[in-house]
Amino acid sequence: MEKRLIKKDALAGIAKKMAGDVLVWAPVKQEDNVLFKPLRADDEPFFAYLNSKNAPKNVFFPHTETLMKYTRTEKGMVFSEEVNDAPQSVLFGVRPCDAHSFVLLDKLFDQEKYKDGYYIAKRRNTTVITLACVKPPYTSCFCTSVDGEPVSSDGADILLTDIGGDYLVEFVTEKGEKLAKYFGDTQADAAADAKKNEIAAKAKEAIASKIPAHEVKPILDKNFDNPFWDTIHRKCLACGTCTYLCPTCHCFDISDEVTEVEGVRIRSWDSCMFPLFTKETSGHNPRTSQKERWRQRAMHKFKYYIDMFNAIACVGCGRCVMYCPVNIDIRKIVTDISKL
Amino acid sequence: MQNPYIPYPVVVDKIITEVDTKDIKTFRFKFVNPEDEAKYAYIPGQFGELSIYGKGESPIGIASSPTQKGYIEFTVQKAGVVTTALHEMEEGTLMGIRGPLGNSWPLEYLEGKNIVIVGGGFAFTTLRSMINYALHEDNRKRFGNITVVYGARNPGLLLYKEELEAWSKRSDINLNVTVDKGDATWKGREGFVPAVCKDVAPSKDNAVALICGPPVMIRFTLPVFFELGFSKENIITSLEMRMKCGIGKCGRCNVGSKYVCKDGPVFSLAQLDELTPEY
Ligand SMILES: Cc1cc2nc3c(=O)[nH]c(=O)nc-3n(C[C@H](O)[C@H](O)[C@H](O)COP(=O)(O)OP(=O)(O)OC[C@H]3O[C@@H](n4cnc5c(N)ncnc54)[C@H](O)[C@@H]3O)c2cc1C
Ligand code: SF4
Ligand code: SF4
Ligand code: FES
Repeated sequence: MEKRLIKKDALAGIAKKMAGDVLVWAPVKQEDNVLFKPLRADDEPFFAYLNSKNAPKNVFFPHTETLMKYTRTEKGMVFSEEVNDAPQSVLFGVRPCDAHSFVLLDKLFDQEKYKDGYYIAKRRNTTVITLACVKPPYTSCFCTSVDGEPVSSDGADILLTDIGGDYLVEFVTEKGEKLAKYFGDTQADAAADAKKNEIAAKAKEAIASKIPAHEVKPILDKNFDNPFWDTIHRKCLACGTCTYLCPTCHCFDISDEVTEVEGVRIRSWDSCMFPLFTKETSGHNPRTSQKERWRQRAMHKFKYYIDMFNAIACVGCGRCVMYCPVNIDIRKIVTDISKL
Repeated sequence: MQNPYIPYPVVVDKIITEVDTKDIKTFRFKFVNPEDEAKYAYIPGQFGELSIYGKGESPIGIASSPTQKGYIEFTVQKAGVVTTALHEMEEGTLMGIRGPLGNSWPLEYLEGKNIVIVGGGFAFTTLRSMINYALHEDNRKRFGNITVVYGARNPGLLLYKEELEAWSKRSDINLNVTVDKGDATWKGREGFVPAVCKDVAPSKDNAVALICGPPVMIRFTLPVFFELGFSKENIITSLEMRMKCGIGKCGRCNVGSKYVCKDGPVFSLAQLDELTPEY
């Protein structure tokens, strides 16, 4: 597909121009954090960022989302409206690991038997523009261990790579090509391509954190009862930070909120780290302590998801590593499992 | 395509209080839009999410059989928020049901085989669906002998009393109803389900056992079936886990790599051996 070049300082202008036409989610500074936000006229996108604090999964799978509305009648509550609108959108400048997470979430929300229309509608109507990591932003990045790369078009419709003074713009899908008009008319030459490949190789080389993620599946298959599981959860606070920040965690709760005359049924993110997550009305809880909950988290990412969808459910973004208040490190856990 | 999160509107058509303690009722629903009944084509062993707007949803096994046309039934014990709201409902109230959800009793596998059905307490619901399905004139010849052992703590806690009576008069089903302790009017068996199973001693030949009940009943009944020579492939049960979505998305009900809502709730013991023992 087509490739073009744009001047580096033109990027913010392009995002803002797009935002005049469609909903654009872009990284913006908010106090000490960078978050993906719908770009408003007075917002300045911040493309010199490392990575966003929250994973951009909320664009497709919002933190809370209305599933349906209902109203009260004399004979009881009746379902009144199905809420499922998804405007044409652009997710502008996500990191390759996060773009990879969308491919993983698709496997769950867009599987054959049950389609999740809420997720799918937003995903279909959103064009993903990936901003490659020419220099891995954090020492905790380990994408190369989990089927990713710092310069990768996996999950992207357009890939932007900083090749010095210019961005190389690669249109990866037809959906991406539809936005070509925003990216000037300078065709990229073979030299630009060569430069990008060189940068990509260097970036990959620069990922220092490596884990044996592909080796642990057969070990996990056999070690559900290993005493190892008694060792990792002890300092866990069950705060759920790891799961809320994780780009691939998808667990949710469904609840009703109601006033006198009408109400909504919403879904909101939930976490397997919480004791109530699996507690039944009888009081029985199949996961009685943080030990079982941590085992679930590790198993889900490095075994169950492979059994279900033939893919590891971790993209190596390192958010859980950086933000766990008690420094529990999934990289160490996986490495330790590989030695069981 | 039907949005799996949106319930079909139903009206509470009939409420039957099943037990003396009044905390278990059978709810008969009719679809508000008659065409929804066909869309809700279900198989015995499947469940639905009973949906009360403003309260929430509860996963409940389908207690009627697809051979019973024009309505659908669920038998519900009053437990928490949703089930209590349901118990307070009156006939004529509007609500919703989602589904049908989950796999089912393995009808194809059961075809041509003798079926042994063992139920305890109010976990008898989807087994009742299976019995009514198999006894229906269109289906009876598809299955071999049908042996049923059903137990409750006392006679007042037996579900579906009229049906039990009707089944007991048929010659094409071997029905064994037992209570832990009888009362003045009880003329039937007394004794725990495992002991009655031992006594009835169904043959393992060409037979499959479907077993549902409280954990203690299951714990003591399984050894009886092992002793009778039933293989783990031919002992089949139905699991319960806390659920929300019912369609394998919300991540709540997994046992190992399987979601009980979507891949279950029905599993053979052989299948459960492959999973993690976390349920
Ligand atoms: C496949 C399946 C079939 C079932 N069949 C029956 C049946 O035929 N009859 C019957 O009386 N009960 C059945 N149950 C149990 C029933 O779902 C719970 O008793 C019920 O959800 C409690 O909800 P509540 O709102 O009254 O309680 P609360 O404690 O207020 O529950 C809040 C919510 O938690 C969830 N939840 C809590 N406990 C359970 C549980 N044990 N299983 C699943 N979700 C739970 C539900 O989403 C529920 O709405 C079944 C459960 C499953 C999984
Ligand atoms: S498990 Fe941690 S490193 Fe892996 S994708 Fe989730 S937040 Fe990132
Ligand atoms: S962030 Fe750390 S402390 Fe919090 S739940 Fe996750 S592992 Fe436990
Ligand atoms: S109930 Fe949501 S995954 Fe099973």
